Amino acid sequence: MDWGEGNWPASLQEVIDEFSDVFDAMERYEMLFDFASECIPLPMEKWCEDTRVHGCQSEAHVLCSLDEQGGFLMIGSADAQIVQGLMAVAQKAINGLPPEEVSTFPVTFTRELGLHDSLSPNRANGFLNMFTRVRQEARKLAQGAA
Amino acid sequence: MALDLEAIRADFPILSRVLPSGRPLVYLDNAATTQKPRQVIQAMTDYYEQHNSNVHRAVHTLAAEATAAYEGARITISDWFGLEPHRLLFTSGTTEAINLCAHAWGRSNLEKGDVVLLTEMEHHSDLIPWQMLAKDIGVELRFVPVDPETYTLDMDAFEATIEEAKFVGCVHTSNVLGVRNPVERIIELAKTRGNGGEGAVVLLDSAQAVAHDRLGFDAMGADFAACSAHKMCGPTGMGALLVSEDRIGEMTHFLGGGDMIEEAWLDHATYQPPPHRFEAGTPKIAEAIGWAAAIDYLSQFDMDEVRDHILDLARHTAAQLKKIEGITVYGDHEGDLGSGAVSFLHDTLHSEDLAHFLDAGGFAVRTGHHCAQPLMRRLGISATNRASFYLYNTVDEADAFVTHLKGVIDRLS
Repeated sequence: MDWGEGNWPASLQEVIDEFSDVFDAMERYEMLFDFASECIPLPMEKWCEDTRVHGCQSEAHVLCSLDEQGGFLMIGSADAQIVQGLMAVAQKAINGLPPEEVSTFPVTFTRELGLHDSLSPNRANGFLNMFTRVRQEARKLAQGAA
Repeated sequence: MALDLEAIRADFPILSRVLPSGRPLVYLDNAATTQKPRQVIQAMTDYYEQHNSNVHRAVHTLAAEATAAYEGARITISDWFGLEPHRLLFTSGTTEAINLCAHAWGRSNLEKGDVVLLTEMEHHSDLIPWQMLAKDIGVELRFVPVDPETYTLDMDAFEATIEEAKFVGCVHTSNVLGVRNPVERIIELAKTRGNGGEGAVVLLDSAQAVAHDRLGFDAMGADFAACSAHKMCGPTGMGALLVSEDRIGEMTHFLGGGDMIEEAWLDHATYQPPPHRFEAGTPKIAEAIGWAAAIDYLSQFDMDEVRDHILDLARHTAAQLKKIEGITVYGDHEGDLGSGAVSFLHDTLHSEDLAHFLDAGGFAVRTGHHCAQPLMRRLGISATNRASFYLYNTVDEADAFVTHLKGVIDRLS
């Protein structure tokens, strides 16, 4: 599947629709803050150097694997709620997809949430690091599956 | 005469900006960099539009104009800081200035086993160059502790070590705590008791100090001071190492080529006298001119008044923040000296989350370890939020910031 503008997984499209109703930056942040509780977490006892995402101001960790159906599964946690909220959105975007699709999934989906407007470049870079890392993991999993 | 804040703010175009969030900018990240008045922007634009040329040597009109403006800027800046122009070495900023000190003076005047005394309060810029020197030539680094209760240097520990120290590197004013260190006492002790009574060499990281302090470099008695133009309304990518008369002759060239050469042969070369000996390559011409314009701009004010204004805002803000449940303020803002930096943390809301909600409200504050991780560890934290004030900030902005922060905490807690 060639994911991109106008053609997103249904679970991500729902989030995009939700954000598109909100014009106020404070409210958008609150939504992202609340999204943190929807994140499938990586328990803190499993945090290690291998799971750590570099380039984030907060402590952020992700672990990538395949679910029982062979779909991609990313779990993650962060000590900052907004970072964890971003992870939750990413999970809605990519979890369950074939890993080869995740390996090329466009990071531009955040633009559709209006997050680039209100998130600092620092955060955007941190998220970019996280998503780049997730795509690399997906590529490895796809190659392993093949 | 009180500062005319309305007129001052009108000089800074960016302060009228409305952010993508639809909210007006309240810029409280001045310890990271200050905004630039249109006089500085115009001076740099004029240079590029009318005078742009490489400096020194060429005989054409533009080159002569550019050279005059560049060297004229050096005179303006050195007059401001109180030293002779040839001892003001242009660098890209404070970090490069301290690296220049470590390479051009440290490598040829320190040797294995010499004690370099630093403090736990240092910015990484006054730590890493000395770590590199320790690794390369074997100097021994020691550190003056910071008292996490008073946020001040342990001067008893300083006094206990100073006799063994050949070199002292100390931050003049902390970028995290807003605390001004007792630099006069540090210099006096270093000169009278340092290095077994022969006197220790002193470098002051003055990045935060120059925002509101003219230093009076020669009168102060330090050997080196490092500073950046952009902390005082000047451009980024520009700064200087200020060097005493005693030390300038002890420095050896560091970077080679371009402007530092007097005459070159295939197998050797001779070098320009200072300052050009230490300014290899085409210099930062527009930036020097911009920095001088910033000093011309600040010259219209009484800098004691500027400092008092900044400290009043910091003191006022710190007092308001302390009243908010869950907020801890780091640093001492009660004294008459210091800076406009107010670091704080909430006990349950992550500093990064708070920073995003502050940004959404239009408030630009800094979040993170502020390039002072050893200090953070001493304080038992990994990051703070930091609001920092400058010349153009108002009490209304400080109050709006505190009100917004309270609102965010109420919404999220």
